Amino acid sequence: MITVKDLIAKIYSGEMKSADFVKECFDRIKKIDSKVKAFLKLNEENSLKQAEKFDKNIGCPQRGMLEGVPIAIKDNIMVKGESMTSASKYLENYISPYDATVIEKLKVAGAILIGRTNMDEFAMGGSTETSFYQRTANPWNIEYIPGGSSGGSAAAVSSGMVPLALGSDTGGSIRQPASFCGIVGYKPSYGLISRYGACALASSFDQIGIFSKTVADSALLASVISGSDYRDPVCQPKDHVDYTHDLDNNYTLKTAKIGIPKQLLDYEVDQEITKCFRNSVNKLKSICADVVEIDIPAYKYVPALYKTIMCAEVSANIATFDGVRYGYRCPNGKNLSDEYAKSRAESLGYEVKKRILFGTYVLGAKNYHRCYHQAQKVRTLLINQITNAYNGCNFIFSPATLQMPVKFGDNLSEECDIFLTAANLVGLPGISVPCSFTNSGMPIGVHFMGPRFSDEKMFQVAHAFEKISNFDTHRYPQV
Amino acid sequence: MLIEELEVTAFLARIDIKDEEKDKYLADINAMLAYVEILQEPDVTDLPPTTHVTELRNVWREDIVRPCQKKVVDQMLDMAPAREGTFYKIQKVIETQ
Repeated sequence: MITVKDLIAKIYSGEMKSADFVKECFDRIKKIDSKVKAFLKLNEENSLKQAEKFDKNIGCPQRGMLEGVPIAIKDNIMVKGESMTSASKYLENYISPYDATVIEKLKVAGAILIGRTNMDEFAMGGSTETSFYQRTANPWNIEYIPGGSSGGSAAAVSSGMVPLALGSDTGGSIRQPASFCGIVGYKPSYGLISRYGACALASSFDQIGIFSKTVADSALLASVISGSDYRDPVCQPKDHVDYTHDLDNNYTLKTAKIGIPKQLLDYEVDQEITKCFRNSVNKLKSICADVVEIDIPAYKYVPALYKTIMCAEVSANIATFDGVRYGYRCPNGKNLSDEYAKSRAESLGYEVKKRILFGTYVLGAKNYHRCYHQAQKVRTLLINQITNAYNGCNFIFSPATLQMPVKFGDNLSEECDIFLTAANLVGLPGISVPCSFTNSGMPIGVHFMGPRFSDEKMFQVAHAFEKISNFDTHRYPQV
Repeated sequence: MLIEELEVTAFLARIDIKDEEKDKYLADINAMLAYVEILQEPDVTDLPPTTHVTELRNVWREDIVRPCQKKVVDQMLDMAPAREGTFYKIQKVIETQ
């Protein structure tokens, strides 16, 4: 499959028809998705109609930035008139009454929404195994997890079923599966892309983000879907930024100081990841101004901080699912309270209920001060230390994950995504970029994290790294 | 967390849990509580809590009602498990003696 940048050029030059490309995507989906199970729903008929319509109007001067380009959407983002399940039984019959802001923007840009991708239930998980509907496989080896929570989106792009996908990232849910599946995963700065119309998990961390084969394609999609929105009050970035404009700016990289966290040594990191990361550091040394060691002792609190604050916010956000206004309602409730409790018990999965209970407990009067309030203060400590680290470097560079994907049913370690989750806790942009394959043919990724709203420069650095990494972006898994 | 605390928490969270599920919830939640104990380690007495990473502050504005098409209102109400006219229908909440 070609990159989106090349696809757009070919479509506009008349060398390729959008309808042919969309058909190719569906052919591939039909061929391999019975094994990968990335998609929950497909929109074949409408997608082809839309592509044909675009092909007919190719000469029309008013064309969008993504006209005729297919994209997959994680099933927790609303598309008007379509179902949105968040991979939960609770929302099995829910039909979105309006478009999320990102969907509005995609429609204006002319993108073709080909289907909805699988995920962990309400994005709670790191393997896509908590989905109520199906289990998505890693296309590079279908016995392994694709990562999560946006595992369906990652698997779909990585296996060449679609060139672009949207996901959401609360604690690494885009960048971890992107790394496990060998593609680019981008989480913007907190407040760069509107979350209006996305199903909330933990509101002080949640961001919508992007899966693509190349950094340039992520930058292109970011240019389309970012921008301020009165309906998401924290979303106040500059409007109409073209993140692809200065992508080849060598100045940024040549003058960049890259920080490597000293704390990497405190963890047991997979040997092949360590080897690949060392190689990547050496490559960066050859082109960057400097590679320096940085010290952020508070990294060790990241998983515990995330657990405490995320679950507390989950318990508040998921309270909305009570069976009154939409979703599942238990038919046998004795009274209203009983009906709430049974509706939730019968329609939410174990992981979701466990997180709600944990969150409710740490917010309870007895534990609030010791658990939740303390976590908020330690979050400040982490923010201060990372902000301080940026006085000595421009970007923090680390392996994306500390572990390779595991087989279904096996657990990842608590610390696996520590360097990804830190970005959510501090509101920073992060991008995972594939850099190599293991001997057994599984991909490995690295992660750049920049200061808040440094997304433009982060794309430049990641793009430059992609070029020197020698990672073959044209290689696709044989499913 | 003790079993009594689990029961109170489940009531507060409005999640019906069965007796046979309680041991698993207790084991898992207690493991999580033990894991987050590390947050007691640093001295953060003088640090303010972070609720949000943005620089935004709450501001007052006029409460302006933005229009919503009747069709959309109907669609949203139609999604309710039970409705009556333009209301969501729920079980009686006031008991009569």
